[in-house]
Order: sequence, then structure tokens, then C-alpha cells
Amino acid sequence: MRLGIYRYTTMRLSQVSFRYRRRDRFVIHDVDAHLAAGDVIELTGVNGAGKSTLLRLLAGLAAPTKGTITGRPGVVGFAPDRFPADQPFTVTAYLRHMSRVRGGARWEPWAERLAMEHLLAVPLGELSKGSAHKVGLVQALMAEPGLLIMDEPFAGLDAGTREALPSIAAEVAGRGGIVIVSDHQGGLRPLPRLRHWSVVDGHLKESTTAAPDQEDSPPVATVAVTLPAADLPHFLARMCDEGYRAREIEESR
Amino acid sequence: MIIALAAFRVAAYIRSHRVYQAVLLALSMLAILHGSRAPRGEEASVLTDGAVLIIPILAWAARSLLDTEPDRQREMSAVAVGGRGRELAAGLVAAFATCAVFAGIGLAAALLLGVSGTPEPRLLTAALTVYALAALAGTALGALTSRAILPSPALSIMSLVLGFLLMLLLSASPLYWLTVPVVRWMRAANDGDLVARLPELGAVSLAWCLIALAFYVWRRLRG
Repeated sequence: MRLGIYRYTTMRLSQVSFRYRRRDRFVIHDVDAHLAAGDVIELTGVNGAGKSTLLRLLAGLAAPTKGTITGRPGVVGFAPDRFPADQPFTVTAYLRHMSRVRGGARWEPWAERLAMEHLLAVPLGELSKGSAHKVGLVQALMAEPGLLIMDEPFAGLDAGTREALPSIAAEVAGRGGIVIVSDHQGGLRPLPRLRHWSVVDGHLKESTTAAPDQEDSPPVATVAVTLPAADLPHFLARMCDEGYRAREIEESR
Repeated sequence: MIIALAAFRVAAYIRSHRVYQAVLLALSMLAILHGSRAPRGEEASVLTDGAVLIIPILAWAARSLLDTEPDRQREMSAVAVGGRGRELAAGLVAAFATCAVFAGIGLAAALLLGVSGTPEPRLLTAALTVYALAALAGTALGALTSRAILPSPALSIMSLVLGFLLMLLLSASPLYWLTVPVVRWMRAANDGDLVARLPELGAVSLAWCLIALAFYVWRRLRG
């Protein structure tokens, strides 16, 4: 049923510019873009380039100063980069409230899928950053959004959830939704037909080279290696010399 | 969905224990105000004075409720409920419902502890209207001094107190129609004219409350 609703969704940004106050400089300049049903878009850009502002415009949290945004799906899911955990609820109480706000959406399957069962009775304020981030993802996903916006969703997540997110994004797109993800970690790169947007000084550029054509590429695997921090530069250099994409994910004690 | 979001915000206000600030203030004020019963014939004054004196506490409650939600959660709520306008409406519904409960407690305390005789039905209806207007005035003053409009806590608290004092001063002057005329409510009650003058005073009060709320909505949607 949802597929029918989303099949013809096309969102269009026409000459969109945005500034916060009248005499401020424009943060977003003359953006023209269209987002079709089934699109998964990776958004990148340096800090302060205007990524979060663009996501807020897409989510409907800010109105363009100039230009128009049309065709936004009726149900939008928004997962911020930092979940506001300073709220007086347990995970269950919070998700129940958000479910009622969403007209009774079912959050339980998403909590199970993101391996959160052991967190349900925990107060939000006692969650780790990654666990709190999962709560933000569940509230965004529970209503089967036609437009799913995730701001840095891979930051702080455990390996299992990191692996699950690309397939979740593909599912939302597969039923006709639009997925747009601000991501510096390349977490969605395994997805075929990934569109790549970058924001440079408020200007939006679409590149077709960032995402390799997965249909013609051999399958790839991502492995985790634990090693002494002092060996890291040498290890990364050696992996790069041998032609592998290697980068540091986290440092722990 | 707006009601569900309003319920979420009231639940957050209660579970965060911020509600106790307003509860303690209201109970202290009511205990002092109704420490001894007023003589018969003073029912209108007792009821109206209570409605006026509880306004700053109602404003404090509305402000605290609106400020309980973190800004990021406010954005997520706006997306979930279908837009910033609906999120804003849910906040105002929650704030007014909270103010109405506190105003109801104030009215009940005045009837049970403050008056010696039973007010006649017409006076009781007028008192209900005055308490409803007090709840609306408290909601408006609280909203205008909430974090979304005045980010500085110090400025916000000063504005709330000064706003109420300005309301008292202006409504005691010939320019009483430039604000919610709370002192005129009290004078009318003291003179035994509350029922007769309520249409005029109520209309002015309602108009200013709606203007203040419209300004709040405009500022929030513009930001």
C-alpha cells in the first residue's frame, strides 16, 4: 500500500537560497535539484559548508529565503546528528510518546532490528552516544517515511547497526521513499545507484564519480582490525600502498 | 497528533519535576491569600483578586513547560507532527492546559477557603470567565518570555516579572485598554460591577491575549 503512495514522489528544489537573517550572507545559494522516488543520496561537505542547513530545508524545518521546495512527501523521518538525550523518559516511554505523535506507528520492530531490547528500560540520560543515536533512528524510521533524512547516522554506532543501515536505507528507497544522508564515512557506498551530493560554500554539486558502479565491480568486504595506536600510521600506509581503502574508525583504551 | 504531542510535552514537564516550581509557588500564594476567610459580600473581590495574583505563576508554568523540550527534540517533534505550525500549536495547547489546571486549583481554593458565602450563579460564571482569561494571559506571557523568543534566562525572567508589573501599572491608568486590564477586573469586583463590566473588560483582555499569542506565533515561524 505504501508503495502506491510513494511511487510518484518527486521532490524538487528550484533556485533555493537561504540565509538566517536579512543582512546575513546566504548559507545556501541557488540550489536546483530533484529527488525522485527510490533515490538514496549521500551528502558530503566540509564543516560549515551548509549541509545541516540544506537538510533542515529539505525536512521543512526552515523555509527558503528565495526559491521553492515542492513535492515533499507527507511523512518525513528526521534523525539528527546528536540525539537530545536530556529528556525525562526511558527509551520505551519516549518511543511510545513518539509513536502516538506519529498516529500509532509501530516502533517495536525497529527497536528489535537495531538490537535495542536491552536498552528499553534505560533512562535516555543514561544512554551512551551510540545508543541514544539508535533511539533517534528508531523515531525517524517508525512511521515508514516517504522522505528519510539522516544527519551523520554512522557516527558512534556499533558494527552491527552500521552494517544494517545501508540495507534499511535501501528498503525505504525500495518502497518508493527518498533517502538523504549526510555522511563523511562512506557508509552507504555499498549501495548501487547511490547519488552523491556535495555542498561547497553553499553551492550544491552532484558528482557521478563518487559512487562506483557496483554492478560492474567485484564484491567488497569491510573488516575491523584492532592494533596498538602507535602502529596505526604505518598500518594505514601499508594498506594504502597495497591498494586498499583504509581509514581509522575509532580509538579506545 | 497535535494532542498527542501536547500530552508528550506535559508529560515531560511533569517528569522533569519542573512542575513543582509552579506548584509550590501556587500553594504558597493561595495559603497566604486565603489564610483567613473574607466576610460575606466580598465573594467577587476574593475570586477576582485570586485570578489576578495567580497570573505570574501561570506565566512561569507556561514558560517552564515550553522550555522543557530541548531545541533538537523540538525539531524532531515538528517533523513528526507534520510541520512547525503544528508543533507550535501543540506547545500552546499544552501550556494553556497546564495554566487551566493551575487556574482551576486557584478557583477551587478561593471557593473552598476564601469566601464565606456561596456566590450566586451569575458571579460564579463571571469568575470562571476571569480565571479562563487569567489562564490565557498566563499562557501568552509565558510564551513571550520562553527560550524560543528570549534565549537569555536572566532576560526572560526579568521580562516575565516586568511584563506583569507593566500589566498592573497600565491597567490602573486611564490607558487600561492598552493591556489586559487586570486592575480594572479587581476594581469592578470591588464595586460590585464585575458581571456588568465583564463583556467590555473580557473583550479587551481577550484581544490582548490573542495579539500576544499571534506575535509569539509570528516570531516562532519567522525564526
